[in-house]
Amino acid sequence: MDKNGGWQWEITANLGWFRINLKELIQYKDLLLRFVRRDIIASYQQTILGPVWVFLQPLFTTFVYFIIFSRVAKIPTDNIPPVLFYLPGTIIWTYYSDCLTATMYTFVQNAYIFNKVYFPRLIVPLGYVLFHSFRISIQLILFIAVYLFFAIGGKNIHPNADMLLIPVFILITAAFALGCGLIISVYTAKYRDLENILQFVLRLLMFAAPVVYPASLIPAKYKLIFWLNPLTPLIESFRSAFFSHRPLPLFYLGISMATSFLILLLGIALFNRKEIQIMDVI
Amino acid sequence: MIRAENISKYYRLGVLGSGTLKEDVKNWWYRKSPESLSTTSLSRDHIWALKNIHFEVGKGEVVGFIGKNGAGKSTLLKIISRITLPTTGRILGKGRIASLLEVGTGFHLELTGKENIYLNGHIMGMKKKEIDRKFDEIVDFSGVERFLDTPVKRYSSGMYVRLAFAVAAHLDPEILVIDEVLAVGDSEFQKKCLGKMKSVSGEEGKTILFVSHNMQALRSLCDRALILEKGEIIASGAPINVITQYLKSGKEQFLGNDYSLDGFLPGNEFIRVQKVELLPEYLDHHEFIDIRTPLRIRFEFWYDVAEPGDLITGIHLFSFAGEFIFDLPSKRYTLEKGLVRGECLIPGNFLNDGSYYISIVFVRNTTIRLFYLESCLSFDVEDFRDNGSWFGKWAGVVRPDFPVVLTPQLNK
Repeated sequence: MDKNGGWQWEITANLGWFRINLKELIQYKDLLLRFVRRDIIASYQQTILGPVWVFLQPLFTTFVYFIIFSRVAKIPTDNIPPVLFYLPGTIIWTYYSDCLTATMYTFVQNAYIFNKVYFPRLIVPLGYVLFHSFRISIQLILFIAVYLFFAIGGKNIHPNADMLLIPVFILITAAFALGCGLIISVYTAKYRDLENILQFVLRLLMFAAPVVYPASLIPAKYKLIFWLNPLTPLIESFRSAFFSHRPLPLFYLGISMATSFLILLLGIALFNRKEIQIMDVI
Repeated sequence: MIRAENISKYYRLGVLGSGTLKEDVKNWWYRKSPESLSTTSLSRDHIWALKNIHFEVGKGEVVGFIGKNGAGKSTLLKIISRITLPTTGRILGKGRIASLLEVGTGFHLELTGKENIYLNGHIMGMKKKEIDRKFDEIVDFSGVERFLDTPVKRYSSGMYVRLAFAVAAHLDPEILVIDEVLAVGDSEFQKKCLGKMKSVSGEEGKTILFVSHNMQALRSLCDRALILEKGEIIASGAPINVITQYLKSGKEQFLGNDYSLDGFLPGNEFIRVQKVELLPEYLDHHEFIDIRTPLRIRFEFWYDVAEPGDLITGIHLFSFAGEFIFDLPSKRYTLEKGLVRGECLIPGNFLNDGSYYISIVFVRNTTIRLFYLESCLSFDVEDFRDNGSWFGKWAGVVRPDFPVVLTPQLNK
């Protein structure tokens, strides 16, 4: 018999702040994978091109950026071929924004399930992030294909060993997006107005990160605040890994990583504390 | 095993929306001040869905919860299922628990039947290996094997429900919590599910908590029943006693009226009705009417007609849906002026379960309607079945008990 006189579980009025039950999460591993599978299958049902869209979306976006920011606005791209320049930023940014947008609607979108059955709610946002991770993996393959195409074409590009860190950059992006998403999800469930504001904030955030312009364009006096954005060192490092011999901005990468994981921890704690209470107000 | 201690739950009433932020700030502010909660708007805008619920369910016990809509049954099941939190109290439990508050939770319309079996199974807490093992059984149970690779959006609603039920029926927890899910599906399939449920509780020693309006199911499946009323448990005990108490308390029957007591006798110059009564001849000392109960109808009226002639009374029985069940005339009587008593016996095993009302018509010389006493009696007939493996609604207006005999014939 264990400490509670033989009782194995307990339901009480209050959930603690840190009751992240890893064992329980692992028990629901099958559900997590099934959610990812569901989203993959469902997103390409009744589309003619199916999974090809995963490739086409970043290509289209890059093409638009190329026309507007490179050709029309003539923003420099650090001497990198514009298409190659835009792809990493687009891929990382889209990943961040997709993960965030998906996870922040966790409660609103899944209320019909959450109202009928219990499982650790964290499974759902984790599933969203995994689903988008699957997409970004495919997009990386696309990127490498385009990259090789340019490399064979004899363009002035400098691959280096930092490339091996790309998965780490993606992991940090995921942590940052999931953390933000979890925190926001708790509040959008109650105050739907937030959704409208967030669309706007996201758009601003994109231009605050070096997605369509190089970091070198930022004036010195704004440099610190610009680099404190966790996405900035991630996108810049991604580029320099493929295009230059510049050393990685390790200091800012460290800050980015610390910030992201701090936000993630905060998000998980808040989410876990509120996950059931929220069902009464949704 | 489950033990609930002092469970209460309040809900905020009214529309949640534009006002929530303001209200939250207000609540937060008041909570800071010492004269908190109960004195402010809280008491007015909140409702206690459950109040101090205590109960204990032993291993292998099947417990049914009865109660009207809004009595708190579903809230209680939701708390046990960890979908919503109690405001006070705690629930302790032992054993893997699964809740069936709905069948087919999380079904995705774009996915095939096969994918949905896995998806729904995982959502209900089954592991992949477990579903792999039971997959054929589930498919067999559902009867949709031909459509396994078709997206469920192409399913008929019947097929959809069957598939959903099939997964649910193969859950294998130690504690099963079931809300009124048996109300869907065709009767044959319902029978199959209840049979499955019965075998689950009986043979495998599972603990089951369930809510139902189906008295038949409660009577034959439960070891114990509890009545919830306005968020409190008001009775608990052997199903038959608890169900009796529930049926007696809940119904608005109108089993008789002695009009002389309030001095106004309905009628006209020819007929004045003094009294109408329905006298059920209760069986087993349970004071409610079920399909076996003979019903005696008795009425008294003053008859006042100067010229000679004859009188017929007719008893009209209607279902509450308004169907005219029967029109039962008396013989033709030539009566003197004065008080008359009428009486009639509706035998047991005649009416099907349902709600009924009675009107009485008084007719002179077969054609002249003297008076029509409309809906003077109303009553409910409860279902009763001896051997229950099926609990669906028994079809038909009447429910006779004529013997049907099968005799094997020799083949030539």
